[in-house]
Amino acid sequence: MTTVSAAVTVSASGLTLRYGATRALDDVSLRLGRGVTGLLGPNGAGKTTLLRVLATSVPAASGAFTVLGHDPASAHGRQEVRRALGYLPQTPGFHPDFTPFEFVDYVAILKELTDRAARHREVRRVLDEVGLAEVRGKRIKKLSGGMRQRVALAAALVGDPGFLVLDEPTVGLDPEQRMRFRELIAQAGEGRTVLLSTHQTEDVAMLCHRVLVMAGGRVRFDGTPAELAARAAGRVWRSTARDPGAKAGWRTGTGGYRNVGDPPEGADLLEPTLEDGYLLTLDGDRGDRGDRGDRGDHGDRAEATA
Amino acid sequence: MTWHVAEDELRAYARGELAPPLLWSADTHLTGCAVCRARLAEVWDPGALDAAWERLDAELDAPRPGPFERLLVRCGVADHTARLLAATPVLRRSWLTAVALLLVLSVLTAHGVHSDTFFLAVAPLLPLAGVALSYGPALDPTYEMTVVAPVHGFRLLMIRTVAVLAAVLGLSGLATLALPGYGLGALGWLLPALALTAAGLALTPRLGPVVAPSAVGGGWVVLLLAARVHQGGGAGALVPFTAAGQAVAAAVAALAAALLFAARDRFDQSHQTRQTHQSFRSAA
Repeated sequence: MTTVSAAVTVSASGLTLRYGATRALDDVSLRLGRGVTGLLGPNGAGKTTLLRVLATSVPAASGAFTVLGHDPASAHGRQEVRRALGYLPQTPGFHPDFTPFEFVDYVAILKELTDRAARHREVRRVLDEVGLAEVRGKRIKKLSGGMRQRVALAAALVGDPGFLVLDEPTVGLDPEQRMRFRELIAQAGEGRTVLLSTHQTEDVAMLCHRVLVMAGGRVRFDGTPAELAARAAGRVWRSTARDPGAKAGWRTGTGGYRNVGDPPEGADLLEPTLEDGYLLTLDGDRGDRGDRGDRGDHGDRAEATA
Repeated sequence: MTWHVAEDELRAYARGELAPPLLWSADTHLTGCAVCRARLAEVWDPGALDAAWERLDAELDAPRPGPFERLLVRCGVADHTARLLAATPVLRRSWLTAVALLLVLSVLTAHGVHSDTFFLAVAPLLPLAGVALSYGPALDPTYEMTVVAPVHGFRLLMIRTVAVLAAVLGLSGLATLALPGYGLGALGWLLPALALTAAGLALTPRLGPVVAPSAVGGGWVVLLLAARVHQGGGAGALVPFTAAGQAVAAAVAALAAALLFAARDRFDQSHQTRQTHQSFRSAA
Protein backbone atom coordinates (compact mmCIF):
# COMPACT_ATOMS: atom_id res chain seq x y z
CA MET A 1 0.00 0.00 0.00
CA THR A 2 1.36 3.40 -0.97
CA THR A 3 1.77 6.55 1.05
CA VAL A 4 -1.43 8.58 1.10
CA SER A 5 -1.82 12.32 1.17
CA ALA A 6 -5.08 14.09 1.97
CA ALA A 7 -4.35 16.94 -0.48
CA VAL A 8 -6.65 16.84 -3.51
CA THR A 9 -4.65 16.64 -6.74
CA VAL A 10 -7.36 15.63 -9.21
CA SER A 11 -10.89 16.93 -8.88
CA ALA A 12 -13.86 16.33 -11.21
CA SER A 13 -17.49 17.32 -10.99
CA GLY A 14 -20.50 16.43 -13.11
CA LEU A 15 -18.58 14.72 -15.93
CA THR A 16 -21.08 13.51 -18.50
CA LEU A 17 -20.51 11.97 -21.90
CA ARG A 18 -23.01 10.24 -24.15
CA TYR A 19 -22.34 7.96 -27.09
CA GLY A 20 -25.62 8.07 -28.95
CA ALA A 21 -28.27 6.93 -26.52
CA THR A 22 -25.71 5.41 -24.13
CA ARG A 23 -24.48 7.40 -21.17
CA ALA A 24 -20.82 6.46 -20.95
CA LEU A 25 -20.35 8.92 -18.09
CA ASP A 26 -23.31 10.08 -16.08
CA ASP A 27 -22.61 12.96 -13.72
CA VAL A 28 -19.32 11.59 -12.40
CA SER A 29 -17.65 13.52 -9.61
CA LEU A 30 -14.51 12.51 -7.77
CA ARG A 31 -11.57 13.86 -5.81
CA LEU A 32 -8.23 12.08 -5.81
CA GLY A 33 -5.15 12.55 -3.66
CA ARG A 34 -1.67 11.08 -3.86
CA GLY A 35 -1.34 7.31 -3.78
CA VAL A 36 -3.01 4.59 -5.83
CA THR A 37 -6.78 4.74 -6.29
CA GLY A 38 -8.42 1.69 -7.84
CA LEU A 39 -11.22 1.91 -10.37
CA LEU A 40 -13.31 -1.26 -10.49
CA GLY A 41 -16.27 -2.05 -12.68
CA PRO A 42 -17.59 -4.46 -15.28
CA ASN A 43 -17.07 -4.00 -19.03
CA GLY A 44 -19.07 -1.07 -20.31
CA ALA A 45 -19.13 0.59 -16.87
CA GLY A 46 -17.45 3.71 -18.24
CA LYS A 47 -14.02 3.18 -16.70
CA THR A 48 -12.02 3.62 -19.89
CA THR A 49 -14.15 6.60 -20.92
CA LEU A 50 -13.48 8.24 -17.56
CA LEU A 51 -9.75 7.62 -17.92
CA ARG A 52 -9.76 9.02 -21.46
CA VAL A 53 -11.55 12.14 -20.32
CA LEU A 54 -9.16 12.66 -17.38
CA ALA A 55 -6.22 12.02 -19.73
CA THR A 56 -7.62 14.77 -22.04
CA SER A 57 -7.95 12.31 -24.90
CA VAL A 58 -11.66 12.98 -25.34
CA PRO A 59 -13.60 15.96 -23.96
CA ALA A 60 -16.60 15.47 -21.67
CA ALA A 61 -19.89 16.85 -22.98
CA SER A 62 -20.42 18.61 -19.66
CA GLY A 63 -18.75 18.90 -16.29
CA ALA A 64 -15.26 20.04 -15.36
CA PHE A 65 -12.08 18.74 -13.84
CA THR A 66 -8.66 19.88 -12.79
CA VAL A 67 -5.36 18.00 -12.54
CA LEU A 68 -2.72 19.39 -10.18
CA GLY A 69 -4.45 22.77 -10.38
CA HIS A 70 -4.65 22.89 -14.18
CA ASP A 71 -7.99 23.17 -15.96
CA PRO A 72 -7.96 21.46 -19.37
CA ALA A 73 -10.90 23.55 -20.61
CA SER A 74 -8.40 25.94 -22.22
CA ALA A 75 -5.71 24.92 -24.71
CA HIS A 76 -3.01 26.15 -22.32
CA GLY A 77 -4.52 24.29 -19.36
CA ARG A 78 -4.85 21.12 -21.44
CA GLN A 79 -1.18 21.29 -22.34
CA GLU A 80 -0.25 21.74 -18.68
CA VAL A 81 -2.36 18.71 -17.73
CA ARG A 82 -0.61 16.70 -20.43
CA ARG A 83 2.78 17.79 -19.12
CA ALA A 84 1.79 16.37 -15.74
CA LEU A 85 0.30 13.18 -17.17
CA GLY A 86 1.55 9.64 -17.63
CA TYR A 87 -0.92 7.47 -19.53
CA LEU A 88 -0.89 3.74 -20.07
CA PRO A 89 -3.85 2.97 -22.36
CA GLN A 90 -5.83 -0.25 -22.29
CA THR A 91 -4.10 -1.60 -25.40
CA PRO A 92 -0.79 0.24 -25.61
CA GLY A 93 0.58 0.19 -29.14
CA PHE A 94 4.23 0.05 -30.09
CA HIS A 95 6.25 0.56 -33.19
CA PRO A 96 7.44 -3.04 -33.38
CA ASP A 97 10.77 -2.23 -34.99
CA PHE A 98 11.69 0.12 -32.15
CA THR A 99 13.72 -1.02 -29.18
CA PRO A 100 12.44 -0.17 -25.66
CA PHE A 101 15.02 2.62 -25.57
CA GLU A 102 13.88 4.06 -28.91
CA PHE A 103 10.20 3.78 -28.01
CA VAL A 104 10.53 5.43 -24.60
CA ASP A 105 12.80 8.02 -26.20
CA TYR A 106 10.05 8.68 -28.78
CA VAL A 107 7.48 9.19 -26.01
CA ALA A 108 9.96 11.44 -24.15
CA ILE A 109 10.21 13.61 -27.28
CA LEU A 110 6.41 13.79 -27.40
CA LYS A 111 6.67 14.97 -23.79
CA GLU A 112 8.87 17.84 -24.95
CA LEU A 113 12.22 16.48 -23.71
CA THR A 114 14.25 17.68 -26.66
CA ASP A 115 17.71 17.95 -25.08
CA ARG A 116 19.33 14.75 -26.25
CA ALA A 117 21.61 14.08 -23.28
CA ALA A 118 18.99 14.91 -20.63
CA ARG A 119 16.40 12.87 -22.49
CA HIS A 120 18.64 9.84 -22.77
CA ARG A 121 19.40 10.07 -19.05
CA GLU A 122 15.68 10.12 -18.29
CA VAL A 123 15.00 7.19 -20.63
CA ARG A 124 17.71 5.14 -18.94
CA ARG A 125 16.30 6.06 -15.52
CA VAL A 126 12.78 4.83 -16.28
CA LEU A 127 14.01 1.70 -18.05
CA ASP A 128 16.10 0.92 -14.96
CA GLU A 129 13.07 1.63 -12.78
CA VAL A 130 10.91 -0.95 -14.57
CA GLY A 131 13.76 -3.46 -14.81
CA LEU A 132 14.33 -3.33 -18.56
CA ALA A 133 17.88 -1.99 -18.61
CA GLU A 134 19.23 -5.30 -19.91
CA VAL A 135 16.89 -5.49 -22.91
CA ARG A 136 16.79 -1.81 -23.83
CA GLY A 137 18.45 -2.49 -27.20
CA LYS A 138 16.28 -5.48 -28.16
CA ARG A 139 13.40 -5.10 -30.64
CA ILE A 140 10.04 -4.75 -28.87
CA LYS A 141 8.50 -7.40 -31.12
CA LYS A 142 10.88 -9.93 -29.58
CA LEU A 143 9.87 -9.15 -25.98
CA SER A 144 7.32 -11.07 -23.90
CA GLY A 145 3.89 -9.61 -23.12
CA GLY A 146 4.95 -8.74 -19.58
CA MET A 147 8.06 -6.94 -20.81
CA ARG A 148 6.05 -5.01 -23.40
CA GLN A 149 3.69 -3.93 -20.65
CA ARG A 150 6.70 -2.71 -18.68
CA VAL A 151 7.88 -0.77 -21.75
CA ALA A 152 4.46 0.91 -21.80
CA LEU A 153 4.76 1.69 -18.09
CA ALA A 154 8.24 3.14 -18.64
CA ALA A 155 6.76 5.33 -21.39
CA ALA A 156 4.06 6.50 -18.98
CA LEU A 157 6.65 7.25 -16.29
CA VAL A 158 9.07 9.17 -18.49
CA GLY A 159 9.26 12.82 -17.52
CA ASP A 160 8.25 12.00 -13.92
CA PRO A 161 4.54 12.84 -14.26
CA GLY A 162 2.50 13.78 -11.20
CA PHE A 163 -0.67 12.06 -12.40
CA LEU A 164 -0.51 8.50 -13.68
CA VAL A 165 -3.49 6.95 -15.47
CA LEU A 166 -3.25 3.16 -15.90
CA ASP A 167 -5.98 1.37 -17.85
CA GLU A 168 -6.05 -2.33 -16.96
CA PRO A 169 -2.28 -2.75 -16.97
CA THR A 170 -2.32 -6.27 -15.50
CA VAL A 171 -4.62 -7.83 -18.10
CA GLY A 172 -3.02 -10.76 -19.90
CA LEU A 173 -0.09 -11.10 -17.50
CA ASP A 174 0.72 -14.37 -15.80
CA PRO A 175 0.65 -14.40 -11.96
CA GLU A 176 4.39 -13.81 -11.60
CA GLN A 177 4.38 -10.93 -14.08
CA ARG A 178 1.31 -9.52 -12.36
CA MET A 179 3.07 -9.51 -9.00
CA ARG A 180 6.11 -7.83 -10.53
CA PHE A 181 3.86 -5.24 -12.17
CA ARG A 182 2.05 -4.59 -8.88
CA GLU A 183 5.40 -3.84 -7.25
CA LEU A 184 6.14 -1.33 -9.99
CA ILE A 185 2.75 0.35 -9.65
CA ALA A 186 3.15 0.57 -5.87
CA GLN A 187 6.56 2.14 -6.41
CA ALA A 188 5.12 4.57 -8.98
CA GLY A 189 2.40 5.54 -6.50
CA GLU A 190 4.92 6.98 -4.06
CA GLY A 191 4.41 10.73 -4.21
CA ARG A 192 2.16 10.56 -7.27
CA THR A 193 -1.55 10.38 -7.94
CA VAL A 194 -2.27 7.07 -9.66
CA LEU A 195 -5.67 6.07 -11.02
CA LEU A 196 -5.65 2.35 -11.75
CA SER A 197 -8.50 0.81 -13.72
CA THR A 198 -8.71 -2.92 -13.23
CA HIS A 199 -10.96 -5.98 -13.26
CA GLN A 200 -8.83 -7.60 -10.59
CA THR A 201 -10.06 -7.06 -7.04
CA GLU A 202 -6.68 -8.47 -5.93
CA ASP A 203 -4.97 -5.47 -7.58
CA VAL A 204 -7.09 -3.15 -5.48
CA ALA A 205 -6.63 -5.15 -2.27
CA MET A 206 -2.85 -5.14 -2.67
CA LEU A 207 -2.21 -1.68 -4.06
CA CYS A 208 -4.92 0.84 -3.37
CA HIS A 209 -5.72 3.03 -0.42
CA ARG A 210 -9.01 3.91 -2.04
CA VAL A 211 -11.38 2.38 -4.54
CA LEU A 212 -14.11 3.64 -6.84
CA VAL A 213 -16.67 1.24 -8.28
CA MET A 214 -18.29 2.29 -11.54
CA ALA A 215 -21.31 0.82 -13.27
CA GLY A 216 -23.62 2.23 -15.89
CA GLY A 217 -21.45 5.33 -16.25
CA ARG A 218 -21.84 6.32 -12.58
CA VAL A 219 -19.67 6.00 -9.51
CA ARG A 220 -21.51 3.50 -7.31
CA PHE A 221 -18.98 3.37 -4.51
CA ASP A 222 -16.20 5.61 -3.30
CA GLY A 223 -14.25 4.61 -0.19
CA THR A 224 -11.47 2.46 1.16
CA PRO A 225 -11.09 -1.20 0.19
CA ALA A 226 -11.98 -2.10 3.80
CA GLU A 227 -15.22 -0.11 3.50
CA LEU A 228 -16.09 -1.88 0.25
CA ALA A 229 -15.50 -5.26 1.89
CA ALA A 230 -17.55 -4.13 4.91
CA ARG A 231 -20.56 -3.67 2.61
CA ALA A 232 -20.79 -7.44 2.59
CA ALA A 233 -20.50 -7.85 6.37
CA GLY A 234 -23.13 -10.34 7.51
CA ARG A 235 -24.07 -11.07 3.88
CA VAL A 236 -21.65 -13.86 3.03
CA TRP A 237 -22.30 -17.40 4.14
CA ARG A 238 -21.27 -20.97 3.52
CA SER A 239 -23.60 -23.78 2.55
CA THR A 240 -23.27 -27.34 1.36
CA ALA A 241 -25.51 -26.74 -1.67
CA ARG A 242 -26.19 -23.68 -3.78
CA ASP A 243 -28.53 -21.39 -1.90
CA PRO A 244 -31.36 -20.25 -4.21
CA GLY A 245 -31.89 -17.16 -2.05
CA ALA A 246 -28.36 -15.85 -2.66
CA LYS A 247 -27.62 -12.97 -5.04
CA ALA A 248 -24.55 -14.90 -6.21
CA GLY A 249 -22.95 -18.15 -5.22
CA TRP A 250 -20.13 -20.34 -6.33
CA ARG A 251 -18.52 -23.62 -5.42
CA THR A 252 -15.24 -23.23 -3.55
CA GLY A 253 -12.16 -25.39 -3.63
CA THR A 254 -13.29 -27.25 -0.51
CA GLY A 255 -16.50 -28.40 -2.20
CA GLY A 256 -18.94 -26.14 -0.31
CA TYR A 257 -20.70 -23.06 -1.64
CA ARG A 258 -19.90 -19.47 -0.85
CA ASN A 259 -23.03 -17.32 -1.10
CA VAL A 260 -23.44 -13.57 -1.20
CA GLY A 261 -26.74 -11.81 -0.56
CA ASP A 262 -29.30 -11.89 2.20
CA PRO A 263 -28.47 -14.93 4.33
CA PRO A 264 -31.13 -17.23 5.73
CA GLU A 265 -31.64 -17.48 9.47
CA GLY A 266 -28.81 -19.31 11.23
CA ALA A 267 -26.51 -19.22 8.17
CA ASP A 268 -22.82 -20.02 8.65
CA LEU A 269 -21.51 -16.50 8.08
CA LEU A 270 -18.07 -15.89 6.58
CA GLU A 271 -15.64 -13.00 6.73
CA PRO A 272 -16.43 -10.77 3.73
CA THR A 273 -13.77 -9.92 1.15
CA LEU A 274 -13.36 -6.98 -1.18
CA GLU A 275 -14.77 -9.12 -3.96
CA ASP A 276 -17.95 -9.83 -1.98
CA GLY A 277 -18.50 -6.11 -1.41
CA TYR A 278 -17.83 -5.46 -5.10
CA LEU A 279 -20.33 -8.11 -6.22
CA LEU A 280 -23.02 -6.74 -3.92
CA THR A 281 -22.36 -3.19 -5.14
CA LEU A 282 -22.74 -4.34 -8.75
CA ASP A 283 -25.79 -6.37 -7.89
CA GLY A 284 -27.44 -3.23 -6.53
CA ASP A 285 -26.59 -1.50 -9.78
CA ARG A 286 -28.03 -4.33 -11.86
CA GLY A 287 -31.16 -4.10 -9.77
CA ASP A 288 -31.32 -0.37 -10.60
CA ARG A 289 -30.80 -0.93 -14.32
CA GLY A 290 -32.55 -4.24 -14.69
CA ASP A 291 -29.79 -5.84 -16.72
CA ARG A 292 -27.13 -8.42 -16.00
CA GLY A 293 -23.62 -7.52 -16.99
CA ASP A 294 -20.22 -9.03 -16.60
CA ARG A 295 -19.05 -9.93 -13.10
CA GLY A 296 -15.54 -8.73 -13.60
CA ASP A 297 -12.72 -11.06 -12.72
CA HIS A 298 -15.01 -13.73 -11.37
CA GLY A 299 -17.66 -13.68 -14.00
CA ASP A 300 -16.61 -17.15 -15.09
CA ARG A 301 -17.37 -18.81 -11.80
CA ALA A 302 -19.99 -16.69 -10.08
CA GLU A 303 -23.54 -17.85 -10.66
CA ALA A 304 -26.39 -15.38 -10.36
CA THR A 305 -29.10 -17.08 -8.41
CA ALA A 306 -31.39 -14.15 -7.72
CA MET B 1 55.39 32.33 -26.52
CA THR B 2 54.28 35.74 -27.78
CA TRP B 3 50.58 35.45 -27.05
CA HIS B 4 48.17 33.72 -24.68
CA VAL B 5 44.57 32.60 -24.98
CA ALA B 6 42.19 35.39 -23.94
CA GLU B 7 40.37 34.95 -20.62
CA ASP B 8 36.86 34.71 -22.12
CA GLU B 9 38.03 32.24 -24.75
CA LEU B 10 39.74 30.14 -22.09
CA ARG B 11 36.50 30.01 -20.07
CA ALA B 12 34.52 29.09 -23.20
CA TYR B 13 37.10 26.38 -23.93
CA ALA B 14 36.70 25.02 -20.40
CA ARG B 15 32.92 24.93 -20.82
CA GLY B 16 33.31 23.14 -24.15
CA GLU B 17 31.66 26.04 -25.93
CA LEU B 18 34.58 27.36 -27.98
CA ALA B 19 33.87 26.89 -31.66
CA PRO B 20 36.33 26.33 -34.54
CA PRO B 21 38.59 27.92 -35.72
CA LEU B 22 39.29 29.49 -32.29
CA LEU B 23 38.99 26.02 -30.79
CA TRP B 24 41.73 24.63 -33.04
CA SER B 25 43.94 27.58 -32.28
CA ALA B 26 43.41 27.20 -28.51
CA ASP B 27 44.02 23.43 -28.73
CA THR B 28 47.34 23.91 -30.48
CA HIS B 29 48.41 26.71 -28.19
CA LEU B 30 47.54 24.85 -24.98
CA THR B 31 49.71 21.92 -26.07
CA GLY B 32 52.80 24.09 -25.96
CA CYS B 33 51.97 26.75 -23.34
CA ALA B 34 52.29 25.79 -19.66
CA VAL B 35 51.06 29.25 -18.56
CA CYS B 36 47.74 28.88 -20.37
CA ARG B 37 47.37 25.28 -19.14
CA ALA B 38 47.76 26.56 -15.58
CA ARG B 39 45.21 29.32 -16.21
CA LEU B 40 42.88 26.71 -17.72
CA ALA B 41 43.13 24.62 -14.55
CA GLU B 42 42.08 27.69 -12.53
CA VAL B 43 38.96 28.41 -14.59
CA TRP B 44 38.00 24.75 -15.01
CA ASP B 45 34.66 23.88 -13.39
CA PRO B 46 34.72 20.32 -11.98
CA GLY B 47 30.91 20.24 -12.27
CA ALA B 48 31.22 20.87 -15.98
CA LEU B 49 33.65 17.97 -16.27
CA ASP B 50 31.19 15.67 -14.51
CA ALA B 51 28.39 16.90 -16.76
CA ALA B 52 30.56 16.30 -19.81
CA TRP B 53 31.33 12.75 -18.68
CA GLU B 54 27.64 12.17 -18.02
CA ARG B 55 26.76 13.42 -21.50
CA LEU B 56 29.40 11.19 -23.01
CA ASP B 57 28.18 8.23 -20.97
CA ALA B 58 24.58 8.83 -22.08
CA GLU B 59 25.66 9.04 -25.70
CA LEU B 60 27.74 5.87 -25.56
CA ASP B 61 24.96 4.01 -23.79
CA ALA B 62 22.22 4.98 -26.25
CA PRO B 63 21.51 2.30 -28.85
CA ARG B 64 22.51 3.26 -32.39
CA PRO B 65 19.50 4.61 -34.31
CA GLY B 66 18.24 2.81 -37.41
CA PRO B 67 19.45 3.62 -40.96
CA PHE B 68 16.41 5.82 -41.76
CA GLU B 69 17.00 7.99 -38.67
CA ARG B 70 20.72 8.20 -39.38
CA LEU B 71 19.99 9.31 -42.93
CA LEU B 72 17.62 12.03 -41.70
CA VAL B 73 20.17 13.29 -39.15
CA ARG B 74 22.85 13.34 -41.87
CA CYS B 75 20.47 15.44 -43.98
CA GLY B 76 20.34 18.01 -41.16
CA VAL B 77 17.10 16.96 -39.45
CA ALA B 78 17.24 17.38 -35.64
CA ASP B 79 17.60 14.05 -33.86
CA HIS B 80 14.27 14.38 -32.02
CA THR B 81 12.43 15.20 -35.26
CA ALA B 82 14.15 12.26 -36.95
CA ARG B 83 12.82 9.94 -34.25
CA LEU B 84 9.30 11.36 -34.64
CA LEU B 85 9.54 10.68 -38.37
CA ALA B 86 10.92 7.19 -37.83
CA ALA B 87 7.70 6.46 -35.94
CA THR B 88 5.55 7.56 -38.90
CA PRO B 89 3.89 4.36 -40.14
CA VAL B 90 3.87 5.18 -43.86
CA LEU B 91 7.52 6.17 -43.99
CA ARG B 92 8.37 2.49 -43.74
CA ARG B 93 10.12 0.74 -46.57
CA SER B 94 7.03 -1.35 -47.38
CA TRP B 95 4.85 1.70 -48.02
CA LEU B 96 7.44 3.51 -50.09
CA THR B 97 8.02 0.35 -52.13
CA ALA B 98 4.29 0.06 -52.79
CA VAL B 99 4.18 3.70 -53.93
CA ALA B 100 7.18 3.17 -56.20
CA LEU B 101 5.62 0.04 -57.75
CA LEU B 102 2.34 1.85 -58.38
CA LEU B 103 4.18 4.70 -60.05
CA VAL B 104 6.17 2.28 -62.22
CA LEU B 105 2.91 0.61 -63.22
CA SER B 106 1.40 4.02 -64.08
CA VAL B 107 4.41 4.95 -66.17
CA LEU B 108 4.32 1.62 -68.04
CA THR B 109 0.61 2.15 -68.68
CA ALA B 110 1.35 5.64 -70.02
CA HIS B 111 3.87 4.13 -72.45
CA GLY B 112 1.44 1.36 -73.42
CA VAL B 113 -1.51 3.61 -74.27
CA HIS B 114 0.56 6.67 -75.27
CA SER B 115 -1.31 8.85 -72.76
CA ASP B 116 -0.32 10.37 -69.41
CA THR B 117 -3.89 10.47 -68.12
CA PHE B 118 -3.71 7.36 -65.94
CA PHE B 119 -0.51 8.56 -64.32
CA LEU B 120 -1.92 12.06 -63.81
CA ALA B 121 -5.04 10.56 -62.23
CA VAL B 122 -3.20 8.19 -59.86
CA ALA B 123 -0.31 10.41 -58.72
CA PRO B 124 -2.49 12.90 -56.74
CA LEU B 125 -4.06 10.04 -54.78
CA LEU B 126 -0.72 8.81 -53.42
CA PRO B 127 0.12 11.74 -51.10
CA LEU B 128 -3.55 11.91 -50.06
CA ALA B 129 -3.42 8.27 -48.97
CA GLY B 130 0.07 8.60 -47.50
CA VAL B 131 -0.80 11.59 -45.34
CA ALA B 132 -4.11 10.01 -44.28
CA LEU B 133 -2.29 6.87 -43.21
CA SER B 134 0.45 8.71 -41.34
CA TYR B 135 -1.74 9.62 -38.38
CA GLY B 136 -4.94 8.55 -36.73
CA PRO B 137 -5.99 5.48 -34.79
CA ALA B 138 -6.17 3.18 -37.84
CA LEU B 139 -2.44 2.88 -38.53
CA ASP B 140 -0.54 4.68 -35.79
CA PRO B 141 -0.17 2.10 -33.00
CA THR B 142 0.80 4.79 -30.52
CA TYR B 143 -2.07 7.09 -31.45
CA GLU B 144 -3.67 7.04 -28.01
CA MET B 145 -0.39 7.95 -26.29
CA THR B 146 0.39 10.56 -28.93
CA VAL B 147 -2.90 12.40 -28.62
CA VAL B 148 -2.44 13.05 -24.88
CA ALA B 149 1.17 14.19 -25.25
CA PRO B 150 1.99 17.86 -24.67
CA VAL B 151 3.36 18.19 -28.20
CA HIS B 152 0.52 19.81 -30.13
CA GLY B 153 -1.25 17.31 -32.38
CA PHE B 154 -1.28 19.73 -35.31
CA ARG B 155 2.47 20.23 -35.09
CA LEU B 156 3.06 16.50 -35.17
CA LEU B 157 0.63 16.19 -38.06
CA MET B 158 2.47 18.86 -40.02
CA ILE B 159 5.88 17.27 -39.38
CA ARG B 160 4.59 13.96 -40.70
CA THR B 161 2.69 15.57 -43.58
CA VAL B 162 5.76 17.44 -44.81
CA ALA B 163 7.85 14.26 -44.61
CA VAL B 164 5.28 12.14 -46.44
CA LEU B 165 4.77 14.83 -49.09
CA ALA B 166 8.51 15.15 -49.60
CA ALA B 167 8.88 11.38 -50.05
CA VAL B 168 5.83 10.77 -52.24
CA LEU B 169 6.12 13.93 -54.34
CA GLY B 170 9.81 13.18 -54.81
CA LEU B 171 9.06 9.68 -56.10
CA SER B 172 6.27 10.99 -58.31
CA GLY B 173 8.61 13.67 -59.65
CA LEU B 174 11.16 11.01 -60.56
CA ALA B 175 8.44 8.95 -62.25
CA THR B 176 7.41 12.03 -64.25
CA LEU B 177 10.82 11.99 -65.90
CA ALA B 178 10.02 8.54 -67.32
CA LEU B 179 6.71 9.60 -68.90
CA PRO B 180 6.50 9.53 -72.73
CA GLY B 181 5.64 13.24 -72.95
CA TYR B 182 7.65 16.07 -71.40
CA GLY B 183 6.68 19.65 -70.66
CA LEU B 184 4.45 21.24 -68.07
CA GLY B 185 1.60 18.89 -68.90
CA ALA B 186 3.50 16.04 -67.29
CA LEU B 187 3.42 17.93 -63.99
CA GLY B 188 -0.37 18.26 -64.10
CA TRP B 189 -0.63 15.93 -61.09
CA LEU B 190 1.20 18.24 -58.68
CA LEU B 191 -1.43 20.89 -57.92
CA PRO B 192 -4.26 18.33 -57.71
CA ALA B 193 -2.04 16.32 -55.32
CA LEU B 194 -1.65 19.32 -53.03
CA ALA B 195 -5.35 20.16 -53.33
CA LEU B 196 -6.50 16.63 -52.50
CA THR B 197 -4.08 16.31 -49.58
CA ALA B 198 -5.04 19.66 -48.08
CA ALA B 199 -8.76 19.00 -48.61
CA GLY B 200 -8.49 15.55 -46.99
CA LEU B 201 -6.79 17.06 -43.94
CA ALA B 202 -9.17 20.03 -43.74
CA LEU B 203 -12.20 17.73 -43.70
CA THR B 204 -10.71 15.32 -41.13
CA PRO B 205 -11.87 17.20 -38.01
CA ARG B 206 -15.44 17.06 -39.34
CA LEU B 207 -15.58 13.65 -41.04
CA GLY B 208 -12.82 11.70 -39.29
CA PRO B 209 -9.47 10.38 -40.50
CA VAL B 210 -10.96 7.57 -42.63
CA VAL B 211 -14.08 9.10 -44.21
CA ALA B 212 -12.49 12.47 -45.07
CA PRO B 213 -9.65 11.22 -47.32
CA SER B 214 -11.88 8.48 -48.74
CA ALA B 215 -14.51 11.06 -49.69
CA VAL B 216 -11.92 13.37 -51.23
CA GLY B 217 -10.31 10.50 -53.16
CA GLY B 218 -13.70 9.29 -54.34
CA GLY B 219 -14.61 12.83 -55.39
CA TRP B 220 -11.42 13.03 -57.45
CA VAL B 221 -12.25 9.81 -59.29
CA VAL B 222 -15.83 10.97 -59.94
CA LEU B 223 -14.51 14.31 -61.23
CA LEU B 224 -12.16 12.59 -63.66
CA LEU B 225 -14.89 10.26 -64.93
CA ALA B 226 -17.22 13.23 -65.41
CA ALA B 227 -14.47 15.10 -67.28
CA ARG B 228 -13.91 12.05 -69.46
CA VAL B 229 -17.61 11.83 -70.29
CA HIS B 230 -17.76 15.56 -70.96
CA GLN B 231 -14.80 15.28 -73.29
CA GLY B 232 -16.58 12.54 -75.23
CA GLY B 233 -13.49 10.34 -75.46
CA GLY B 234 -11.62 12.82 -77.66
CA ALA B 235 -7.89 13.45 -77.50
CA GLY B 236 -6.32 16.17 -75.36
CA ALA B 237 -5.98 16.76 -71.65
CA LEU B 238 -8.89 16.27 -69.28
CA VAL B 239 -10.26 19.49 -67.77
CA PRO B 240 -8.49 19.09 -64.38
CA PHE B 241 -5.15 19.03 -66.22
CA THR B 242 -5.81 22.11 -68.35
CA ALA B 243 -4.70 25.59 -67.28
CA ALA B 244 -8.19 26.36 -65.94
CA GLY B 245 -8.31 23.07 -64.02
CA GLN B 246 -4.88 23.72 -62.54
CA ALA B 247 -5.99 27.17 -61.39
CA VAL B 248 -8.99 25.64 -59.66
CA ALA B 249 -6.72 23.05 -58.02
CA ALA B 250 -4.43 25.80 -56.76
CA ALA B 251 -7.42 27.71 -55.35
CA VAL B 252 -8.77 24.58 -53.65
CA ALA B 253 -5.34 23.86 -52.17
CA ALA B 254 -5.08 27.39 -50.77
CA LEU B 255 -8.63 27.38 -49.40
CA ALA B 256 -8.22 23.93 -47.82
CA ALA B 257 -4.90 24.96 -46.27
CA ALA B 258 -6.58 28.01 -44.72
CA LEU B 259 -9.46 25.88 -43.37
CA LEU B 260 -6.97 23.36 -42.03
CA PHE B 261 -5.07 26.03 -40.19
CA ALA B 262 -8.31 27.42 -38.73
CA ALA B 263 -9.22 23.94 -37.47
CA ARG B 264 -5.75 23.16 -36.07
CA ASP B 265 -6.94 22.84 -32.46
CA ARG B 266 -9.32 20.07 -33.49
CA PHE B 267 -6.30 17.81 -34.03
CA ASP B 268 -5.45 18.12 -30.37
CA GLN B 269 -7.96 15.51 -29.23
CA SER B 270 -8.81 11.98 -30.15
CA HIS B 271 -10.56 11.02 -33.38
CA GLN B 272 -11.48 7.77 -31.68
CA THR B 273 -14.91 8.85 -30.48
CA ARG B 274 -16.73 6.81 -33.09
CA GLN B 275 -14.61 3.73 -32.41
CA THR B 276 -15.04 4.19 -28.69
CA HIS B 277 -18.76 4.41 -29.22
CA GLN B 278 -18.79 1.13 -31.12
CA SER B 279 -16.58 -0.71 -28.64
CA PHE B 280 -18.58 0.70 -25.77
CA ARG B 281 -21.84 -0.53 -27.25
CA SER B 282 -20.45 -3.96 -27.98
CA ALA B 283 -18.99 -4.26 -24.48
CA ALA B 284 -21.99 -2.90 -22.60
